Amino acid sequence: MADHPLLSRRRLLGVFGAAASLPVLSACGSSVGGGGGGDGGGGGGGGNTVRVGLVVPQSGVYAALGTDMQRGWQLWLDGNGGRFGDYTVETVLADEGESPQTGVPAVQKVLQSDGVDVVVGIVNSATALGVRDLLAESKKVLIVANAGAEDVTGAGRTPYIWRSSFTNGQISAAMGTHLAESGFGEGVYAIAPDYAAGTEVISYFTRAFEAGGGRVVGSAQTPFGSTTDFQPFLTGIQGSGARATFCFYSGAEAISFVQQYAAFGLAESIPLYGSGFLTEGNVLPQQGAAALGVQNTLHYSDQLDTPENAAFVDAYTAAHGESPSCFAVQAYDAANVLNRALGTATALDGDAVVTALEGVGTIDDSPRGPWTFENQTPRQNIYLREVQDSGGTLVNAVVQDLGPQGQPAAV
Amino acid sequence: MLVSVLNGLAIGSLLFILAVGLSLVFGMMDVLNLAHGALFLGGAYLGATFSGSWGGFLAAFGIAAVGGLVAGALLSLMTAPLRRRSHLDQALLTLGVAFVVAELLIIAFGDDPLSAAAPPALDGSVTVLGAVYPTYRLVLIGVGAVLAVAVYLVVERTRVGALVRATVADREMVAAVGIDNRLVTTAVFAVGSLLATTAGVLGGPIYGARPGLDATVLILALVVVVIGGLGSVRGALVGALIIGQVDTLGRVLLPELASFVLFGALALVLVLRPQGLFGGPASVGAR
Repeated sequence: MADHPLLSRRRLLGVFGAAASLPVLSACGSSVGGGGGGDGGGGGGGGNTVRVGLVVPQSGVYAALGTDMQRGWQLWLDGNGGRFGDYTVETVLADEGESPQTGVPAVQKVLQSDGVDVVVGIVNSATALGVRDLLAESKKVLIVANAGAEDVTGAGRTPYIWRSSFTNGQISAAMGTHLAESGFGEGVYAIAPDYAAGTEVISYFTRAFEAGGGRVVGSAQTPFGSTTDFQPFLTGIQGSGARATFCFYSGAEAISFVQQYAAFGLAESIPLYGSGFLTEGNVLPQQGAAALGVQNTLHYSDQLDTPENAAFVDAYTAAHGESPSCFAVQAYDAANVLNRALGTATALDGDAVVTALEGVGTIDDSPRGPWTFENQTPRQNIYLREVQDSGGTLVNAVVQDLGPQGQPAAV
Repeated sequence: MLVSVLNGLAIGSLLFILAVGLSLVFGMMDVLNLAHGALFLGGAYLGATFSGSWGGFLAAFGIAAVGGLVAGALLSLMTAPLRRRSHLDQALLTLGVAFVVAELLIIAFGDDPLSAAAPPALDGSVTVLGAVYPTYRLVLIGVGAVLAVAVYLVVERTRVGALVRATVADREMVAAVGIDNRLVTTAVFAVGSLLATTAGVLGGPIYGARPGLDATVLILALVVVVIGGLGSVRGALVGALIIGQVDTLGRVLLPELASFVLFGALALVLVLRPQGLFGGPASVGAR
């Protein structure tokens, strides 16, 4: 009879803890380093081969981004004979997972066990920041192909970490300036998830918007990863008297936010603006008609009308049956800059590669348009995009080129 | 403000359908079923896959119902050998099942977040109380109310319901008076799981379907059950309605504390009334 102990509240709360750690545990459980994707070094001796560790998520919530990045990387190699300069490229794939708990060990593994010369990848900003000392100590170069935190290439940066993607502030400051200039100066509401990138996006947006004479009439940061119903926050936006909303969401939250923004009738009266990740990649078809008319800023769109981009989109679509995302371009360009650097590098050690990267100049054949390194991160054109219906498919049409922009000064 | 109260009702309805199964299973069988959230997610994926038409929506509903019954019966069989063991052993078993199911769902449906459209005619918005409100959520309030009445009548007014209540109150005594309650417990587990999967289909148009949603809704359901009191239908209903309001109205009134209001309410209830609002000593402590 007394076999069943009382369910004490404390025990139940302990079980809560177990439940709360579900995603973390499952991420750990499935993070297995991938096998080598290299081509066996057909070029002869080891002196002619460069080993590159491609560390991207293959599991967890960012797995789809990792797939895009792998495809972009491979597309460049396939189109250029699998060589960087005189070196045959051997790619060692590793799973970044979704957090630094899996990402940092993955970078450590490719550096120490696989002995790679260069590391490419990293979606999560916390991982990019967490491997700083690892790369500085081993004197190897990392080309960050996504993570957007300002600090990765900020004042305290190491010379060994470069970036081929964007910074959070670069994307949102461009929108801040644009909105201030386009008649919304008297009131914008800013909303983003309550975590580091969300805070960064709001503060850089706010500074640029206010510098242009705009006024932020309200802002909110929603619980990150657990917000499924945005109605309470949408009510706050309606009550603020804002003329427009600026937001920063991606993945599942981007789908919910855009759909609920339309379902609760805000889209008609308060136009929605955002960082481009709001409608980038595979979330756009899920958002459906609710996304029509949403305007956003990003450093790329597959709709860019340039010969370089047309060739890239054609090749990518032929290989994978879908349009490329900015994540694919970032990895593609990482391969491109490594090719340029290794064409002039005197050796494969980190310092020689850094010196070569400093001299690569303008990347003039990128799908995103020409860009240069400035403080180890791209100075690139930011595009104003609008979600439009193009023959039954939703696309991010380019409505304005906001011009070249570097990483903004720290807030 | 009034719209937020209305929305709290809609979310509360959904939470009731989700949590009442968890509560009954715990009350009946003493099993804390941590796979409940994974069952919900299974239903949500079905809803996302078949969304877009009434036929698809009803098909998803039917498949989810049958799948829920089968899954509940299986879980009942799996936990039966652990009946005499501690809650922790059972929780570990169902947690393991939750991991396996979540991984299988990723294999089957991919790891991209999916959205589920409400059935035609319900996918628009109407003007209520001077504000635009999605039609589907209004309907959900009605569905939740009907289900609440149905579950209440079955549990309070039928012979099976009397058996269920008796088993919740004192399982050994029910067995001692000569009633084989194994069938009843399995049936309750099956129906509880059915409610979880169908809640997933119903919740699809609001929550979508994505990896990790199972943990989010499981925690919500546990909070509801703890606040309402374990094993009590009325408790699950009141708990769900309270959490619905806390999660919407609370976030409107205290936006800076949005991350904390839910667990703040939970902590408050635990301090003031540890057995939950409707959890009498009979449903928790008598064993």
